[in-house]
Formats: sequence, structure tokens, C-alpha cells
Amino acid sequence: MDSTLPAVAEELLKEIKKAFQETSHIPDDLLLGLKFIFGPSAVSALDLVDHRSVTQVMSPSGRTAYQVLGSSGKLYTCYSSCHFCTCPAFGFAVLQKSESLLCKHILAVYLSQAMGACQKLSVSEEQLTSILLAEEEDEG
Amino acid sequence: LCRGGLAERLCRLQNRERAAVSFWRHQCIADAKIPSDKSGVLIVKILEMFEECTIQVAMCQQLEQSPASLSSEDAVISAGEPMLKVLFARETAAHLKSRPQDVIHIYPPWQKLLLKNADVPVIMNTYFSQKVLLSEHSETREKTHGLTKMFIRKNIPSLAQAFRLDDVDDELHQESSDNQVACAPEVHNNCDSKQYPIAQSAVNDSLLEMVESQGAVGWREARVQVVIQRVYCLPAREGYRSHVQGNKPLCATPIINSDPPNVRLCLLVQDAYGMFSEVQLQFLSCADDIEEYCRRWEGKFCCLAGMKILQRTTRGRALGLFSLIDSLWPPVVPVKVPGQSQDSEMMTTNLPPPSFCYILTVQSGEIHVEVDEEEQISNLYQPPAVHGLKEILQMDGCNERRSFWAQVLYLRVQTKHSVPINQREICLFVTDSTLQNVVHITPKVVAVSVTASYVLSTEVTEALSVASRLVFFKDALWGNGRIICVERTVLLLQKPLLCSAAGADLSELTGPVRLDELDSTTQANSICAVRGTVVGVNESTAFSWPTCDRCGNGKLELCPQDRGLLYCNQCSAVVISPVLKMQLEVFLSCPSRSESMVKVKVWHEVSFGLFVLINMLLSPQSYEVQSVLGKEVGLLNCYVHSVTSHPNCVGLEEIVLL
Repeated sequence: MDSTLPAVAEELLKEIKKAFQETSHIPDDLLLGLKFIFGPSAVSALDLVDHRSVTQVMSPSGRTAYQVLGSSGKLYTCYSSCHFCTCPAFGFAVLQKSESLLCKHILAVYLSQAMGACQKLSVSEEQLTSILLAEEEDEG
Repeated sequence: LCRGGLAERLCRLQNRERAAVSFWRHQCIADAKIPSDKSGVLIVKILEMFEECTIQVAMCQQLEQSPASLSSEDAVISAGEPMLKVLFARETAAHLKSRPQDVIHIYPPWQKLLLKNADVPVIMNTYFSQKVLLSEHSETREKTHGLTKMFIRKNIPSLAQAFRLDDVDDELHQESSDNQVACAPEVHNNCDSKQYPIAQSAVNDSLLEMVESQGAVGWREARVQVVIQRVYCLPAREGYRSHVQGNKPLCATPIINSDPPNVRLCLLVQDAYGMFSEVQLQFLSCADDIEEYCRRWEGKFCCLAGMKILQRTTRGRALGLFSLIDSLWPPVVPVKVPGQSQDSEMMTTNLPPPSFCYILTVQSGEIHVEVDEEEQISNLYQPPAVHGLKEILQMDGCNERRSFWAQVLYLRVQTKHSVPINQREICLFVTDSTLQNVVHITPKVVAVSVTASYVLSTEVTEALSVASRLVFFKDALWGNGRIICVERTVLLLQKPLLCSAAGADLSELTGPVRLDELDSTTQANSICAVRGTVVGVNESTAFSWPTCDRCGNGKLELCPQDRGLLYCNQCSAVVISPVLKMQLEVFLSCPSRSESMVKVKVWHEVSFGLFVLINMLLSPQSYEVQSVLGKEVGLLNCYVHSVTSHPNCVGLEEIVLL
């Protein structure tokens, strides 16, 4: 049978976006739905959203990526076209163990999108490429 | 956790829920019977189960009433009962220990989610679930199943697709049948004697006929007369083969190049019926001759013979090609309608734009393309419509071809060394009189990115390295607020003789070029003018180096013979009086963008104060930086590296305009 969770997760996030757009508020049942599907990542992701930790990085050609400031102060990169995050939890819980659908950073990206809470940052093509290639950057 | 934030709220809700679940479970055990309140209870029978990311997914059938009230024989699955997909959290699943055929009571509050494109609703938040045991066989079943280990299939969801939170309109506009400019079936039955000419001099005028009669008798000799609308280069994808050219080569001696050809000369042609075709001709080693081919061939008639059909492409698969075709649609003169004799009425209005196009290529060893250079320009030819940049920036539309004539002020090449030079992205910063002479609204300078690097021929690059030049951008792509040079765009140093000016004011630039001043709308990858006061200095970036006074080479070496002298490899000579260049990163306070920290790498027009400072910083003695703070800097021309909001900082580098 085809997998179910991604469609369920997507629909839940869509409902959150709709509710937020209509009422600027997320009802309790949707929050609990997040908890049900995503487990402990839900609270952590919401915390990241509360702190406005998600930045959408865009380049002139239209490419995007997301950078999330983790609780440890480290900056993780999440891709926009597929589910990938540079954090260790993603490598372990999602890729290796398939225990979670997303890590808290990717979930935070979606929630920030749904609530319009993404910071926006424009960079040059070179800089976006170096972000995606996780190279050391010379300038802060 | 943030006070009053969403995370705190969820924590509270979660704690409350957890307490409620454990209380409820206690109650169930204590009462040891099904709670009497039946409202809102879902009764489901599990048919199939599997696990996804610790969540148990159960394909269930919804039952009308509890089977405990029926005997086991009556509890038959009736086909009409609705199906549900019930999700159980890991902890609930462990508590339930359910198996297929089990009946579960799910008490509120549970949630139902309806998925798009799925018939089966999903039930979640199923914490308050209880397994119902059919009284008769309960004990035996528990015994047998308690011993055998249950293997639940694990489904691993794919990570390949990201979620889309917008409601995308799934209806793609699909054309049920291809619109054809020429209505096909009648063409074959055309008794016109011109269709399959016996004599070589007979010329056809329909591309579609030629394509559809491929392989028929006399097809090789059949020639089609078309008009060359555009000439451009495309990257050569296959390996190169040598061709015998049907036309006189542009240079007297045959082209023998040691460089492997990497571009191909192509024509976009149109026949008398308005149908387009892209014809791929010979390979070129570089795009330099394109200007001459354009000048000599565009607008002229040309005969094609014995072409090989490479492919038939459609709008959806060749967006770049069709954006160019769209810019030439509708035809400027009436085109023929197939199936009718030449004298009858011709149509030009209400013709739908083409939805398909044949791509033809030459076969080696034969004469294929004869361009009649002496003849006049065809009426069907549509020269590029030239607009002022201001007009283009204000146009609506997406992915449209636009031509313009602009002054190139600055050229920036992506500096990543791992990418070969000919594949690096280049950005040209251009302006024209329509942008310079207007105050506000539109920016003074526009960035044009060149994604197809061969479009920028070495001729143009060399011309730009000498001085700022006016360049004609033919068929650049405009869309999403950006101008990009892609495949089929041609950059020329001379404005073509034939182009419709469309009433734009294309006068020469009078006076010095002005850049937009740095302000709150400035974005990365742009150029601007900056002025401000020095408020800080990044001492570690102070750097000075000697450069050759002849060629400007910054990488001088020590002379092998005499270590006291400097040597320039490019000039192959000793540098007697090197020019000292200096570089320093300063922090400015700019009134035009007061909320940001502005960081500028200055190196060229170094003001005296900064010059002194750099010297100070480079000397072993330590001096006070304070002596330079407060100095005015400006108006500098800069390239904007980065704009960040967290911290609010703009990174700039001083540049010299061409």
C-alpha cells in the first residue's frame, strides 16, 4: 500500500495555513494534530517558529533554500524541493531509522511558511551555492 | 519556550491530553466494561495494518454497531460499509496490541481529516481507543496470539517530494489535439504538380509538406523556400562532424580549428504558411561570427533540401524556442491557407499560435541550405522590436522575448574556481537613456544575467574589457522582474540595420552615468552608489600589493636574478615602478540606509584618510584607528555582495565601472 503519512501531514499543514490566513490563529485541535503526527518534534518546531528562527534564502535566479537557527545556535540548511536537513537528528531519525517523517527544522520551515513567519534573505547565486554545498563562508 | 507562544500552548494542551488519556484508561480498567456513552464513538474493524514512522496505520471498516452485541456468526463484513484509515500513535498501538480482524472503539475527541484525491478519510488523535473483545473466543484468541509474534509491515515514506501548502490548480491546460497552422490531411491529396518536383529547380513553399513527404519518391530533390527569421547559436550536444557547407564560408580559407566546436549555428525559419522550423547547421568553435551571419542572412529567403528531421517538439517541451516563436506571432503579412489555391484569400487574423515545431538538421555531404543573400528582405520577416529598458521593466508578461540596446556599465563573473570559465554565470549591469533620464520609480541600472555563457562571445567580452560599450541584446528573456540571456539570445555590438524602434527614445546617453544610491530597497547582486561616514574599520583586512604599471597584473613575483626587483609574468619584464594597490574593509554609516550596517571593501579610489590608515595598519607600529573615524567617504560605486536581515548588514565591494 502506498504511504499515508506524507499526505496526512501535508493536509494538516494546509489546514493550519488556511486557519491562520482566515483567523490569524491556530485552533487547539490542529496543534494537537501536529503533536499526534510529528510527536515530540511538534513542540520543538513551534518553539523555533515562535523565535522566528527560519529564514528563506533566495537568489536572483529564483532558487531557494531555508536556514534554521537551531536551539544550540547552529544554523541548519533545509532544502525546498525535497525533505532534507543538515541536522544530525534528520540523519538519524529520518534517514537511518525512518522513525520520523521530518525533523523539527523541516517542520519549522513548513509552519513558518504556513504562518508567514519566515525571515527573507536575498543573496547572490554564489552565496546560495555555497550554502547548498555547505562550504565555509569567508564573510559572516 | 516563549511566553505566550505556540510551543507553550501546545505543551499545555499536550499535558492536559495526556492526563485525560491516562485517567480514561484507568477508568476502563476499573469498570471493565464498555462505557455506556455511545455518542461520537467510532466502531471500526481492522482489516490491514502497517507502520509508518512509528505511527500505526490501520485500514478499517466502520461498523454500525458493536459486534459484541451480535454473535460471532452475524459479524459478517458487508460490502457497503464505509472504509476508514485509522492512525494510532506508537504508545496507543502498544497499549491496544491490535491485530487484523480486531474491533476497536474509538472515543472522542478524535479528528477526521479528508485528503484531496483520496476516498478514504483519515482518523487521527485516537488516544481514547479500546479494543473490544468478542466474549466467546476472547480467551482462546488471547492465548494463541499472545505467543506468536506479529510482524507489521513497515512503510517508509519517500523524502523526494516536498509538501505544497498552496492549493495548486491541478487542471493543466492540455490541448486535446495539436493546433496546426496547416490542416494536415488535405495536403497530401493536393494535385498541385509542384508537390513532388521532378526538375531540381522546382521549389515548394510548405515545410509541412516536405516533412510529411519524407521518404517519398523525389523527396531528396525537393526544396522548400523559407524566410530566415532569426539566426543564433545553440550549444552543440552531439560530437562534431565535419560538414560540407552549401554556402560560401565567411572566411576565405577553410576553417580548421584546433578547438573542439561547442556551438552550432541555427536558423529559425518560417514558410509561406506561417509554419516555423528550427534548422541546425554547422558547428562553430565559438559564437564570434554570429554577428555577421545575422547581418547577412536574417530576413532573406533560403532554400532547404533533404533535411533530416531531428524531432518534432511541442510548446510544453521547448519553452525557450516557443517564447521566440511567440515573439514572431502573428505574422506581419497574410499567410497562405493550405488546401486552397494561391489566389484565394489568405488569413492572418485569428490564427492560433503554433503548438509544435519541427527541428531539422543537415545531412552530411550534401548541399542543403542556400541563402539568397542578394535578394531583398522578405515581407514576412519580423525584425526584433526594440524597446527602452524602462518600457520593458514596466511590461507585464512572463517569459517573453525582448530586444533592447543598452550601455554595459559593469560585468561580473562568478568567481568560483571549480566551475570552468565558459560555464560561469555572468552578470551584466546595463542602463540606457530611458532609465538614466527619469527620476524615481524604475531603477537606474538593471542586472542582466547571462546563463548561456556562449551567448557572450569573446568579441563582445574583449570589447567590454576595453571600455563601456553599447550592446544590442536581441531576444533576451523577460519575466518575473528579470532579464536573462538564454539560448537563442544574441548579443551584438552593432545595432542591426533593420529593427523597429517602437517609438522608444533611444538617444545616446548624455553626461556621466548615475547609479541608484544605496537605500532600503537595495538587494544583493546589484550595483549602487554609496556615501557615508566611516564608523569602523576591519583592521585585519588591510592589504596592499604591488601591480604592474603596464598591464595591471596583481600577481607579481620576485625576479629570479635579482631578488630586490619585481617581475611580471604577463609582460615578461621587470617592473621598475609598480603601482601600489590597497584594500581595506570599512564600516560606514549611510544616511540613505540608516538601519543597516554597511560594510564596504574599498580598494580603488581610496581617500587620503583611508590611505594613511592603511599604511598605518600595515606598518609595525600601532596607531589609533580613531583618526579615520568620522571621515566622509563617497560617492563610491559598489557591487552589493549580500544583504542580510539578521544581523541587518549590507556587504559591498567597491568597483570600477567600465
